[in-house]
Order: sequence, then C-alpha cells, then structure tokens
Amino acid sequence: MEKKINLQRYLYIINKNGILFIFLLLCILLSIITPGFLSWVNILNVLRQSSIIGIMAIGTTFVIIGGGFDISVGSTLVLTAAMCVGLQYYMHWGLAIVLVLIMGALIGLFNGFLAAKIHIPAIIATLGTMTIIRGLAYLYTGGYPLYVEAPDFAFIGTGYLGPIPFPVILLIIMVAFWQFILERTRLGRYTCALGGNKEAARLSGVQVDYYHILTFVVGGLMAAMSGVVYASRLLSVTPLAGQGYELDAIASTVIGGTSVSGGEGSVVRTLVGVLLLTIIANVFNLMGIHIYVQYVVKGAIILSAVGFDTYSKFRQ
Amino acid sequence: MKIVKLKKAFPGVIALNEIDLEINKGEVHALVGENGAGKSTLIKLVVGAYKKDSGEIYFDNQKVEFTSPAQAFQSGLSVIYQENSLIPQLTVIQNIFLGVEHFTSLGILDEKKIYEQYLSITKQLGFELPPFEKVRNLGVAEQKLVEILKALIHKVKFIIMDEPTASLSENEVEHLFRIISELKSNKISVLYITHLLGEVFKIADRITVLRDGKKINTVPIKDVNREKVVTMMVGESLKNAYTSVFTEVKKREKVVLQVKNLKRKPRVNGISFELFAGEVLGIAGLRGAGKTELSRLLFGADRLEDGSIIINNKPVRFRSPLDAVNHGVSLVPEDRKKDALILMLELYKNITLPTLEQFTSKGVILSGKEIAATRRAIEKLDIKTSGVKQITRYLSGGNQQKVAISKWLQANPIVLIMDEPTQGIDVKAKLEIYNIVRKLAETGVCIIFISSEVSEVVKVSDRIIVLSQGKISAEFKHGVSQEEIMRTILKEE
Repeated sequence: MEKKINLQRYLYIINKNGILFIFLLLCILLSIITPGFLSWVNILNVLRQSSIIGIMAIGTTFVIIGGGFDISVGSTLVLTAAMCVGLQYYMHWGLAIVLVLIMGALIGLFNGFLAAKIHIPAIIATLGTMTIIRGLAYLYTGGYPLYVEAPDFAFIGTGYLGPIPFPVILLIIMVAFWQFILERTRLGRYTCALGGNKEAARLSGVQVDYYHILTFVVGGLMAAMSGVVYASRLLSVTPLAGQGYELDAIASTVIGGTSVSGGEGSVVRTLVGVLLLTIIANVFNLMGIHIYVQYVVKGAIILSAVGFDTYSKFRQ
Repeated sequence: MKIVKLKKAFPGVIALNEIDLEINKGEVHALVGENGAGKSTLIKLVVGAYKKDSGEIYFDNQKVEFTSPAQAFQSGLSVIYQENSLIPQLTVIQNIFLGVEHFTSLGILDEKKIYEQYLSITKQLGFELPPFEKVRNLGVAEQKLVEILKALIHKVKFIIMDEPTASLSENEVEHLFRIISELKSNKISVLYITHLLGEVFKIADRITVLRDGKKINTVPIKDVNREKVVTMMVGESLKNAYTSVFTEVKKREKVVLQVKNLKRKPRVNGISFELFAGEVLGIAGLRGAGKTELSRLLFGADRLEDGSIIINNKPVRFRSPLDAVNHGVSLVPEDRKKDALILMLELYKNITLPTLEQFTSKGVILSGKEIAATRRAIEKLDIKTSGVKQITRYLSGGNQQKVAISKWLQANPIVLIMDEPTQGIDVKAKLEIYNIVRKLAETGVCIIFISSEVSEVVKVSDRIIVLSQGKISAEFKHGVSQEEIMRTILKEE
C-alpha cells in the first residue's frame, strides 16, 4: 500500500515536471548535433519566435486550468492586431493599444458569459465566437492588408533593450506576472479549484461563475496583447493572419503538462511547451527538413504529452 | 443461488463477515438491515463489482466468480438499482434489446422480429409500455419496468432489486409487486433489498437480516412479525454503549436558527424547526426523505421555493452558498468526492479554500500563514497525512472526511450542517468525528447532524427530528432509544 502510494506520487512528479526533463534533454542533444544551436543569436531567435504564441498561451493556460477551452484566440489576435494598426490612423498608438487590450478583455468576457452563464460547452462557444471574430476582422479590414508607418510603435515587436529583444522581455515579464497570479492570488487558486471540481468549489463559497468568466477574460486579454506584438512586428495585418495560432497555444499548454480536464497547470511550464515547439521547428529548419514533416512530428508530440497525462490518470 | 462464508474487509472495518445465504429458484427473498449493515457490499460482491476476500458463490449449481456486473448480467444475474441504468436517448424497445438485437442474414436490424418478441413478452407479463417512446420521457416507475423487461429479454434467472420503490408512488409500487409475483411464477428468483418492512411482508417468502456485517438470521416470513424483525435489525444489547461521547444535554437558551415552512418540491414539503446555540440537532429518516435536499436549501446550494430562514433574529435569503457562508452557515456535503473536496489539489489548498480571504494580504496569498493553519488543522483533527502538500486524493476516506470538516472550522461557523459525515469510514474515525461534533457544540456552534445511521444520530444529538416525505414526522429528546426511532421511521410507509 505504502509502496503503491509512493509510486503514484513518483508518477505524479514525473508527470508534472517531465516536460522540463525532456526539454533539457532535447537542448543538450540538439547542441551536440547542431552546431550553432546554443549560440546567443540562435537562443534569442528562438525566444523571439516564441513571444507571440507564448503570450497568447498564458491566457490559454488560465482558461484550461479553469476547466474551459478557448479556440477563439487566433481570431482575437487578428482582429486586435488589425484594429491596433487601423486605429493608429485616428489616434496615438499608445491609446490604440489600450483600446485593443480592452477589446480583447471584452471578447473574453463574452466567451466566459456564454460558457459560464448560458452553459454552452466552452469549445463550442468559442468555435462560434472564433467565426464571428474572424468575420469582424474581414469586415474591419475590408479583406485587404492594413499598413502603418510608426517607428515608435514598431519598438514593441522589433526593438531591443540592451542586447535582448523587447518582445522577449515582455514575454518573460508576463510569464512571471501570471505565474505569480496563478500561485499567489485568489484568482489563481480559485481557477485551480473550479477546474478541479466546480461544484465543490461552489459549495465552498467560491463565486465560481465570476472566476470562470475571469479566466476567459485573461484568455482574451493575452490574445489581444499577442495581437499588439504581432502588429508591431510586421506593421501590416491581413485578415488571414493568426490562423492555427490557437492550436499552437493549446498544444503548448498541454505539452507543458496542464491537465486537459482542468485543475492543475503552470504558466512557466507552458512557456517550456512553447519553446519546445519553437525549437523543434527551429532545428528542422536548420537541418533543412521539410515543413510537412514538422506537422507530423508536432502532432505526435501533442499526442504523447496528453496521452501520458490521461493514461496515467486512467490507471489511477 | 447459494453463498457460503462470504467475507470482505475494508481497511479498518469488516464489511461482511462469513455470510451464508441460500436463495431458491422462484423465491422472493428479502434482505434487510440498517445502513452499514453490509447489504450493498453483499450485492457488489455477488455481481463482481467488489472482489471478495474469501468465500464461495454458487449460481445455478455452478461455482461462479464474476469479475464485473456486465459479466454477471450475461450469466443471467441482473441488478436493478435505485437509479436506473438505461440510456435516456434511446427508445424503450432499443433499451430493452440493447446488445441482443436480432439481425437479418444481411446484418441489418430485424425490427419486425424484435417487435414481435417485445409483444409476446409484454403480453405474457400483462403490461404495456409505449415501445417507441424515448426512455427519458417516461416516468420513474415505467423506467423500472423497462429495466425489468430488459432483464427478462436477456434471459435473466435472478434479479436483485436495490430499494426499487424509493422513488415510486403507491400505485406504481402495487404494479411493481404484481410484476414481481409474475416473475416468481416464471421461476425467476428475486433478492429484494429494502428499508421498508411493510413491503417485505407483502411480497417476500423469506427474510434475511444483516447487522454490522453479520447475518443475524434467515426466517420464513410467516414465522415473524414486524416487531421481531426490528429487534433483529437493531440488536438488544447495543443501547447502552451509545452514550460514551455525550457529556450533557445542552440547555436551550438562545435561538440561533429558525426555519419556517421550507419548501422545494418534491423532496422538501414544509419543514420548520428551531435550533439553539450549542445544540446538536440530529436529523434521521430514510433515503429519499428529504434530508440532503434540506441541507442544500439551508446552505443556499438550491433555490428555496417557499419559507424563510432566520439567523440570530434576522431574516436571511441565500442566493448562493457564498451568501450562506457570509452568514455563518457551513455545509459538509454528503458526497465528499463530488461536492466537498477537490481531490487533485493539495491538502492545504482544500483546507483554506472557503477562508482564503483570511490568508491574503493586499490580494496576495500568504503561504506561510496558510501552511501553519493547515498544520494546526491536521493536529486538531488528527488527520493522517504525509504532509500539508499531499494530494487529497491519496488520503483515506476517513481522513478525507476530516479535511471536509476542518476546512469549515477556520470559517468559525454559527451553524454547521453535516450531511452523512461518517459515510464509508471506519469505526475509529467515526468515533473521532462524534467527538469533534460534541466539542464544537460545547464551544457554542449549532450543529445539524444528518445521518441515515440511526445509531449515531442517537449518540451525538441533543434533539432528533425524523423526516419522512419531506416533512417532520416526529421529534425526540436525547436519550431516546435507537429502536424507538427505527420504529417511527419504518411506520411511515
């Protein structure tokens, strides 16, 4: 009996931190195979490539820990990015960013309302809003790319603070901030509680609907922030952008060990998941392997990460 | 069916101790006993939902060892539970023939043949159901009939019915009894499990009484009367052992909680009572009498249809459990895994969940304070754990229950409602919980102690009310015997 419990705990620890071991192993392996992988330039490159999905995936992590699901964030990215560019025709870019972030939060509020109050299963609710928001992005842009000339604004996506790209700094700050929220505030604790067992949380006096909605607000807000970085990096947005980003964000979250059924997870480990996916793409590019192969490998990684989680739960 | 020396132990408690039981072909055999007597353990062992420790089971003169209820069903042994196991979206006929459909030689469903067989069997039993209606549109009684039909089509030789009448009306019960006698004439055996002795005397041929995991006796029904059966269920020598945790009956000084005419149909039909400071109010009653529903109303977990709740002379209206918590009402729910605990989270997160506010400063959780409080809780209720960060799932049932209780102690409740707080835990842990209840009451907390185990209600309560069909049917003071309460409960049929 004792032994069995120990084994379970052991499995649990591996399950929780396995992604870190795999990540480190992969990095060591790659630095041996691929010269130049561990170079400063390449590391910063990987981090910068991770920044947009990384920021988005923070929100996705909150939503999934809270027991929800949000596939509308890719559309939110494109709408907010387009607005962030388009609004600059009429106002200062700073104000545009603020409005766009509010817009993201409102989209999240709407998603949360549909899921928590109308009781539409979250994946279906956000499937609906995903389509609506994509449509709005087409309507807003008229179907054409929007451009902006704004060197100050471009700093967010392309600038450097000392030797480090600004989006990387933003990503690290956001990961640290939201990890703190997750671990050390009521929002974080209640998010875990309602994802783990919503009825038990309700019967413990937690305002479950309120916090359930808030997780979606975080999801929308972070999607909008990734939209701002996206707009600032490219300075042009087409309504076709951002497709499939939500899938990468979800994939990174579950590869990072966040339980698909909610209740547990970590923003830092999601970042590791994002980096893992970026590195694999990066190495495949360095080795000249075709992008089609990358899809296959990426899918296999998602299945093995989630399969490990669900199967070890089933065995319990 | 013959059962020889069947034994099953759970950690800390022997659930069934070498039970022998013999049920003849075409016999209706009643199995009675208090909650915790071992009735459901017995069924689960027979159909293979639990693994037995020792003993043998013979079915149709063959030794059997089922590994799952599905396997037992295929061998001709069906269990009809209180809640049904039908698929609500399928029609009556689809449910009945599920898994044994007829097919044409091309592998296509042979609807005609299915319907013919359906007609012949319903004719034989003399009842009618709408065959193409979806099961979810049927009443509870009709659904029971569908289950019985399903068992018959699957050529079942033995049906176990676990409190089948709990949610049926009087007419429906009569109908069910007619069908049971029909089954009997078709040489199908029925093992009938119930709390309601009236039913037993109507339909059973023989009766077996279980108590504390032991078989007391099996007797032909014509040799006993109701009095004798109650005595067998309760035991005679036990009464004196009950007062050990009790110190003194609380003087009724200050009314803390007044409940007037609470209603929420169909299970709560006008309940009024008062609760005094430091008093333990026991609530007894059968399954389905409205105990759990009452507790949920008092805690704001369900909406009140009518009636009022007054706490310390102020009327209150709870829109959510949070409202109740803010007014000093706490609930330890009946189903700790489903409603009380978040099993995947660490122990300390469960303990501080309702009172997290106390552990935050400027919005930030103070981990040190939180962990210190958890350590105190572990010490106070003697929770056996490897540490404050242990995942709650890995605690034993009794320790999980202590966590479910201790998470509310931090909230300093005025009224603490406990719904079946000792369910599924061993004798020692039960005793510890009784002590906790009495100690809390001494500090002035009012406690509503809900349990279907009459022996423990008698033990811890200053006052006891008996619920029946959503109403208070009797009230007793401390010192009443278990037997008297049992008699009141069983009289209600």
